[in-house]
Amino acid sequence: MSDTITMNLKTIFVLIYEPDFIFSMLSTAERVIDMKLMHTKLPEFLKKMKAAANESEHPMDITIRGLENLTSAKMQSLRTGRIEHAVREMTMKDGVEKIEFEVIPRVPETMHTVIVKGVDKEGNIKHAILEVVNILHPTEEAYLIGCDDVDDRRPEIGRH
Amino acid sequence: MLTTEDRKSEDTDLMIGLRRAFKMAKITYKMIPEGMLEGKYVPLNIAFIDYKEVKAAGITPMEAFQAVAKTVSGPVGMNIFDNDVVTTTSDGVMAAGAIRFMAAADMGKINKDFGYLEMAEMPYSDELVKEEPHLIQWQKNFPGKKLFRGPDPATKKIPVHNVCITGRASNNNSATEMMNIVTMEEILLPILGQQQIMRNGKVVLGLTGGIISVGIGMIMPEKFGRVFPTRQFPAGDTAHGSGVYAQTLKAHIPCIVADKAVLAENIINCFKAGCIPGKTVGASPAVLSVARRMGVEIAMDNITDRAYEELASVGFTKEWMTEKVDILTPEEIIAKADEIVPGIVDGTKYNVPDLIKEYTIEV
Repeated sequence: MSDTITMNLKTIFVLIYEPDFIFSMLSTAERVIDMKLMHTKLPEFLKKMKAAANESEHPMDITIRGLENLTSAKMQSLRTGRIEHAVREMTMKDGVEKIEFEVIPRVPETMHTVIVKGVDKEGNIKHAILEVVNILHPTEEAYLIGCDDVDDRRPEIGRH
Repeated sequence: MLTTEDRKSEDTDLMIGLRRAFKMAKITYKMIPEGMLEGKYVPLNIAFIDYKEVKAAGITPMEAFQAVAKTVSGPVGMNIFDNDVVTTTSDGVMAAGAIRFMAAADMGKINKDFGYLEMAEMPYSDELVKEEPHLIQWQKNFPGKKLFRGPDPATKKIPVHNVCITGRASNNNSATEMMNIVTMEEILLPILGQQQIMRNGKVVLGLTGGIISVGIGMIMPEKFGRVFPTRQFPAGDTAHGSGVYAQTLKAHIPCIVADKAVLAENIINCFKAGCIPGKTVGASPAVLSVARRMGVEIAMDNITDRAYEELASVGFTKEWMTEKVDILTPEEIIAKADEIVPGIVDGTKYNVPDLIKEYTIEV
C-alpha cells in the first residue's frame, strides 16, 4: 500500500516537473493519439522532417525552406504525420538523391498585421501604430516547373 | 457556360456547333510577349481576347483561356474583353468596354482555385445610382448598356484583392495590373488603355510616374469595384492615405494607357452628365486638370486634407485649383489633351497594331 502511494507521488512529481520525460516515455501508438489531440511545436516539426529523410532506409539530405521567418508556431499535427510519411516515401522513389521541402501559403494572398513600435532607451514600447499589409505569393506551379509527376494530396480549401 | 444572351452573334448555334464538331473553331487574340517592348520591360506575357471571338467559337471563357495558355511556355495574364458593355475608371469616369473574365497561367496551367475570375454584372437600379452618384453618367451616356467592374467577392477564394494567380503570373485589380511574382516586376494596364488595345486605337507606353501614382488613389466608392469590393473610401478622399509617399507607389512601373485625347473626351462626357470633381467623380489630377480648363467647379470642401496633401505633393495645390486660366471648349481640350492632361513619364504614343501583334489558334 505504501509502495503504491510512493509510486503515485513519484508519478505526480514527474508529471508536474518533467513533462518532456513523460512524453519521451510514451509508446509510438500513444504519441500518434497524442499527436491528433495537439499541435506540434515548430522545432519538433523540423526535427521530424529531417529524421524522416536522414533515418530512412535510403537516408538522404533534406533542405527545408519557407519556415525561416517563424520563431514560435504550432503545426497541425494530423498533417505533420502525413508529411513525415510523404518525406520518407519520397526517399524511397527511384532516382531521388535529395529532398527539397518547401512550405508556401496555400492561399496566395496572406494578410498580415504590421506593428510599428517606438521604443525608448530602456527598451520600453512607448508608442505603437498597427497597420495591415496583404502579400501576394506565387502558387505551387512556380515551384514545380518541369515536373510531370505531382501527387496532389491536399484536401479542398476549408477542409483539414 | 455561355448564356443565351452571350451567344447572340452573327453565327447561329448550328454553325457554332458544326465548327466545334469538325474542330474548325479558331480564336484571334492580341499578345504582348514577356520581355522588352519598345524600351519598357513587360514582366510576363499578356493576352487580350475579344469576347466576340469566344462566343463565335462556341467555347467557354475558361476554354479560351486554356487554349491561349497552352501556347505560352511561361507566365501569362489573360483578359477577355467585351466591347458591348460599360465600366468605370477608378476615379469614376464611365467608358465603353469592360473586362468580363480574367485568368493567370504558368507553363500552360491555370490554378484551379486561384487562376480564374469572372466580373459581376451590376444591374441598373435607381437605388444603385443613388448610392453611387457617379453612375448618373450611365443612362445619359450609355443607355441600356450592361455594367461590369470587379467580381462578386463571394465567388473568389483570395481574401482581399481581385486577383488571379497561377505560379509566377498574377493578374490583379480586376485585370488592370499584372505581375511576375517571382521577379516582382509589374505593369499597369488601366482600363481606358485596354479599351484602345481592343479597338486598335491609340495608346501611350511609358512609366506610370508620380502623378498617376497619386491619381490611382482618388477612387469612387463602388460595390464590386475593380479594386475594392465594398464602398470603402468616400468621394474626395484617397485610398492611399500615405501623404508625400503616394507619388512613389507606382512611379517606376511601366504602363499602357489610352491616348490622352481619349481620357479627356471621357472626362468631358462625365462632366456633361453632371458629375462634380471631388464629389461625384474622383479628384484625380486628370479629372481636376480637365475641370479647370473646362470651367467645371471643383467640390473643394469635399476633398479631404489627406487627399489634398497627396495632390499637392505632385503640384496640384489648392492655389493651382483656383488659379484663373483660359476656359477652353471641349473640342479645344481634346485637341490639346497632351498638354492639358497630366501623367506618364517617358511616354510614347503608338497605334495599337504597331505595338501589339495578333495571333490565331485553333480551339
